[in-house]
Amino acid sequence: MSRGILFLRLLVKAAWVRKDRALTALLSAAVVATIATAALTVYSDLENKMSREFRGFGANVVVSKPRGTLSTDEIAAVRNVLDGKDAALAARMQAVPVAYAIGTAPDGTRVVVGGTDTAAFRDLNSWWSVRTAGRSNGNALVGVRAAEKLSSNGDPFLIGYGTRQTTIVPEIVFTSGSDDDSRIYLDMNTFSTLTGVQPTTVLLRVEGRPREVREAIETLTSSLPALEVKPVRQITLTQTTVVGKTGSVVLASSAVVVILIMLCMAATLTSSVLERRKDFAVMKALGASNREVNLLFAAEASLLALMGAAGGFVVGSGIAWWIGKSNFDAAILPQPALLLPVLAGSALLALLASTAPLRLLNRIQPAGILRGE
Amino acid sequence: MFLRLLFESFRRQKRRKVAALLAIALGMSITTAMIAVGAGIGDKVSEELRASGANLRVTPIEDTLDVNLGGVELKPASEGAFIRESDLPKMRGVFWGHNILGFAPFLIQEESFTEHTRHFEAELIGTYFAQPITYGKETFPTGVRSVNRWWQVEGEWPQDYSSWPQGSNIPQVLAGSKLAQQSGLAIGDTIAVAGKKLRVSGILNGGGDEDRAIVAPLHIVQQILGRPNTVDRVMVSALTKPEDAFGRRNPNTLTPADRDRWYCSPYANSIALQISEVLPNVRVEQIRQVEQNQGKVLSRVSGMMLLLTVAALLASGLAVSAAMAATILERRQEVGLMKSLGASNSTVASLFLTEAGLMAIGGGLVGFLAGAVIAHRIGERIFGSSITVQPVILAVVVFAALLVTFLGSAGAVRKAMQFDPAVVLRGDA
Repeated sequence: MSRGILFLRLLVKAAWVRKDRALTALLSAAVVATIATAALTVYSDLENKMSREFRGFGANVVVSKPRGTLSTDEIAAVRNVLDGKDAALAARMQAVPVAYAIGTAPDGTRVVVGGTDTAAFRDLNSWWSVRTAGRSNGNALVGVRAAEKLSSNGDPFLIGYGTRQTTIVPEIVFTSGSDDDSRIYLDMNTFSTLTGVQPTTVLLRVEGRPREVREAIETLTSSLPALEVKPVRQITLTQTTVVGKTGSVVLASSAVVVILIMLCMAATLTSSVLERRKDFAVMKALGASNREVNLLFAAEASLLALMGAAGGFVVGSGIAWWIGKSNFDAAILPQPALLLPVLAGSALLALLASTAPLRLLNRIQPAGILRGE
Repeated sequence: MFLRLLFESFRRQKRRKVAALLAIALGMSITTAMIAVGAGIGDKVSEELRASGANLRVTPIEDTLDVNLGGVELKPASEGAFIRESDLPKMRGVFWGHNILGFAPFLIQEESFTEHTRHFEAELIGTYFAQPITYGKETFPTGVRSVNRWWQVEGEWPQDYSSWPQGSNIPQVLAGSKLAQQSGLAIGDTIAVAGKKLRVSGILNGGGDEDRAIVAPLHIVQQILGRPNTVDRVMVSALTKPEDAFGRRNPNTLTPADRDRWYCSPYANSIALQISEVLPNVRVEQIRQVEQNQGKVLSRVSGMMLLLTVAALLASGLAVSAAMAATILERRQEVGLMKSLGASNSTVASLFLTEAGLMAIGGGLVGFLAGAVIAHRIGERIFGSSITVQPVILAVVVFAALLVTFLGSAGAVRKAMQFDPAVVLRGDA
């Protein structure tokens, strides 16, 4: 029997004869790999997933013209500004032009009337609590305070601008908790027929990570010098802080968990190697060199660790996928880039944990161990 | 005899016991740290989210419609109702008063200003910057500096004057950045409004309508406008519980018991109701953009931490169980010896399980302390305020430690006892 085959047989037999011991080592590596993979996979996609949650805050950039109204070309320029830069970001960007004028009710009450793409505007202000009256011919979004003031019983009412008038059917009444509650929004056609006023503002929702939002604002500012580009600071700032700090917490706690579990596993592996001092002594008594024994122990440990880690990577990716699915309603995909570090890390850990005690044993005479000292 | 066996086992197998104890302590410090961080993160992120500004808005109930266009309030000052400033500290006395982190009153009117020979029109906004408010025995500062945390000032924040300063002192105000740019205002300039002088102490960059306004201390603006003790609206920043289906219900339709539960939960709506009970004739609304979205973000963050915590707990449980199983399986010769000397299965099991229980309690305690330190450090490093570890977590951790060590040991003890003592002692098993 050649040495190579003997070595392999020793390796397989050692694992096979003491299945539970091998299982412990395998399980240890698998647990470390699972938790490391799960935590790191979640962390790697966290900025994306968390940033998506901030889309609900609505417009995070406001583009306006300091004097005069926005031309159709300017509105188109705002809409297409990111097209050449980042296709994915441009596809997710939403731009809603809005025009404002002050109308009057028949009793002389002044009310701010807005003209916009009502469907897109409603989508942008997703936090609105909307009440529909069940009429089919609603043509406006009416703020709750405006509705109470102008049509306390829900009947259609007139709004005038200069000499022209239009009838508003308060079909959709919304509550926002902001100045919008005193306003009425009409679709752009009705609005321009009534007032002839063109949009002055474009509300933009740039949906991306904090850095992407910042870059998009820079692009907007530099490519539209005639317009005023204002980030809605309270939203962008909150997003940056919350996303950043959540990421730090996940990273810090994952690091703690991974390091402690590694130590925990190292303690178990070390102690289980020390229990094998008899095997060690028998091998040495039969003429094996220190190097050969070390090699055998190290090979066994790293082989088991690699197998465990591969299983752990699969399970860990599954856990991350499940966390994404159940918490963010969108799966967090496995990160193949993590596979190599996870495998290498587990093998290294197993090597260190199993060879460190051998140095201790190398100093002892085999006869002493076999005698039971 | 039993006690002696127990004692000797710890004394003679120090290395083995230390390894097992270490494994338990490490596993339990993960448990402590993750539970503490997972439980604390909601509060911490909630505080961070308060940076997005007030979540409740108080306006007079009799008020006419706002006519705010392009950031300028066009409603004449004579129109509309107002809130008495002297009533505001009462908000601190409501059931959830301690959840009210701060509030900022506003009194706003369009005015004409003069700087040297130039004239310009702008909004004059009166508010608190960091005005000390006294309610009962406590005094706390409140104002835009804590409510609108995204406001940046180049130069100095003005003081909050309680009355017009005496002598040659000129009250300090902030000039909005856009206004300063357009009208050429700079720090140190003196402006005049309605025959009174104000000095620009800083340039305000807030990203909103205030960038086109002059922002001054509330009491100064009240004097300029001749409207003492008056504010138009109050923005309130409160720590709230994210709204759930129960929180959205109308309190008037609830049974008395449910209504009490609703009233005593810090929902934005219940805090709003409580404020409207102490301030006469006001309408308190949640600023839905802030409130609704915060709840969403918060529940995502807490949900994710919960799931990660569960994963970490399972992992540490497995790790500890494996460690215990490994130590016991290595001791099958001991089991064989005890059995051959006449020990019954139950004696052997109780010896091993008592050992495991003692180690679980010891490891659990050490792990709890270490985990508490870790959680504390994470809180300090990331949020600048420590995460408090509730003492109840200690009970949970010790229980968890007992559970996982028993689970790990029990299987291994049973397996160790299945072998024939003779075979084990010969070393063949």
